[in-house]
Amino acid sequence: MPAVTFDDVTKVYGEDTVALRDIDIEIGEGEFVILLGPSGAGKSTLLRVLNGLTQPTEGVVEINGEVPSGARKEVGMVFQEHYLVESMSAFQNALTGALARNGFFRSILTWQRTDDKRAALEALETVGLLEEAGQRAGSMSGGQKQRVGIARALVQQPSLLLADEPVASLDPKAARDVMGYMKQAAQERDLTAITSLHQVNIAREFGDRFLGIRDGEVVFDGDRDDLTMDVVDEIYYGEGADEGAVSTAGDVPPDPAERGGTADTPPAGSADPPATAEAAEAPDSPESVGGDGS
Amino acid sequence: MSIPEVDTQLGKLKRSRRLKQGLALGLLVAVLVVTYFGLGFVNFEVDEIIDGFPNFVDFIAAFFPPNFEAMTIYTTDNGITGLEGIWASFSDPGRLAESLGSPRLSLVRAAVVTLLLGFLGTVLGFLPALLLGVLGSEQVTPFPFNFIFRGIMSAIRAIPAIVWIFLFVPFGPPSQATAVLAIATDTVGNLGRLFTDELEEIEEGPIEAIQSTGASRAQTVGFGMLSQVSRSYIAWTLYILEINTRIAISLGVVGAGGLGLYVRNQQDLFQFQNTAAGIIMIFVVVLSIELLSSRIRARLRPSEHEGKGFLQSLRDLASPGKWLGLDRDKGEKS
Repeated sequence: MPAVTFDDVTKVYGEDTVALRDIDIEIGEGEFVILLGPSGAGKSTLLRVLNGLTQPTEGVVEINGEVPSGARKEVGMVFQEHYLVESMSAFQNALTGALARNGFFRSILTWQRTDDKRAALEALETVGLLEEAGQRAGSMSGGQKQRVGIARALVQQPSLLLADEPVASLDPKAARDVMGYMKQAAQERDLTAITSLHQVNIAREFGDRFLGIRDGEVVFDGDRDDLTMDVVDEIYYGEGADEGAVSTAGDVPPDPAERGGTADTPPAGSADPPATAEAAEAPDSPESVGGDGS
Repeated sequence: MSIPEVDTQLGKLKRSRRLKQGLALGLLVAVLVVTYFGLGFVNFEVDEIIDGFPNFVDFIAAFFPPNFEAMTIYTTDNGITGLEGIWASFSDPGRLAESLGSPRLSLVRAAVVTLLLGFLGTVLGFLPALLLGVLGSEQVTPFPFNFIFRGIMSAIRAIPAIVWIFLFVPFGPPSQATAVLAIATDTVGNLGRLFTDELEEIEEGPIEAIQSTGASRAQTVGFGMLSQVSRSYIAWTLYILEINTRIAISLGVVGAGGLGLYVRNQQDLFQFQNTAAGIIMIFVVVLSIELLSSRIRARLRPSEHEGKGFLQSLRDLASPGKWLGLDRDKGEKS
């Protein structure tokens, strides 16, 4: 049985904003899947449909053969901005992953079971932060915070780990660390993982399978060898991208500062496609992008 | 070179500036007119103030030297007057203990009563304030139902503690017990409002994250919302404790006991030097609470606490400059 099944899933927001269009995919148990695609392509909606925060308009999503309804503890979620409670320690943040297993009063009085406390410490160990368990989340670096976010998801003891742009606001080194820990956690715990990413070089390094999403449709589904730069161009800029002025080789979007100054910008000349949300929102017409860049 | 669009824009800016100046002038005139006629309305005669000033100086002179004879039972019984009363009282802890343990009048006991009125009122008001404050937030109770709780708090807040104590007359005349009740009621309105406001400004992210773990609604409120504001809640509670100590003094004046009652009684008896001693005690009590509370609140501000060890914090406690907020750590947070 596949871990995740999308059966003709369509999601329409409002009257006619189509976020997902006839998505029909299966993801096997233990696969490490990376979603690629420009901002607004539907990656986040796909993840939200999976963790039950959004319901599909048409079609059915199944996780381990069941249709999710509402947030589920079997699905762990890692957010782009880590979303930790900054005044609490790393340990306390990780422990919130066990809330669904505890009653309100037990949790509010911090009478969590020893098993849960152990699980929280083990999860912090998995992400290399056991020593920092008592440190206040607010005083941690971006990469450390994101690793605590992963630990929190692991404490849920999920079978499916989702991550929405988990390294978008990190520098390249921290981004690699975080992805490394996530991959390791998934392998150690036999988790199926689905992560959306913008950094294609990091994606290639860690992913087993890649789904290219554009305008709510899956336009690519393959492994590392299939993910050539032409394919990446096509995912980000659409069909015929290579005919226009846009070429990913050396064509780094205008100015890092204009794009919010995120540190994950690939160096000029690297073979990466746009690394940040704004950059990836390049207009459909290749000519206009080429004009911008020149 | 003149660009017509620039001239148009310049004209617009000038007109808007003139309009603002006109409005500001109108406002100033209105304030002056209301003040002028208002002073007449309330019979405020500047002449009388000026004429009465020499009397005021004489009156204040009668307060000196302050007489601390009532500091403890020991000083009262032994007729130790003036500032010596302070030394005689504090040189022997047994004399302080004797006064605290006896229902007889002493400044030491009155000060403790005042402190306790503020403290107990804050403690008893805290839980209802927390409940109403949390329920009043749109994060927890959907609009417009949250306004039921906000409305209750507004109604409580509209009536000051000094009026509440008279509304509690069925429970007894103004006394220490009804003062605690009045301060607690006042706390519900004020502290609850602060709690609500604080909750409205929290970040959505952690709430969504806690929801995504499959936590229940109550757990989401507890861990996604209240955990974000716990430090500020403690800080606001300390701030209200400060205010409640002052309220305890004004309630004392209307009969609730403590330093307020002592000052009023001595004033009624024309014992102005005793009044002065009472006022100095009020000064010491209020300032102590304020300093203590503001130092703890500063500690609760994460930026100041960061990267500081326990020992460093203890050293800070011993530094007078820190207490008075004179020297701030610079560049502590990189």
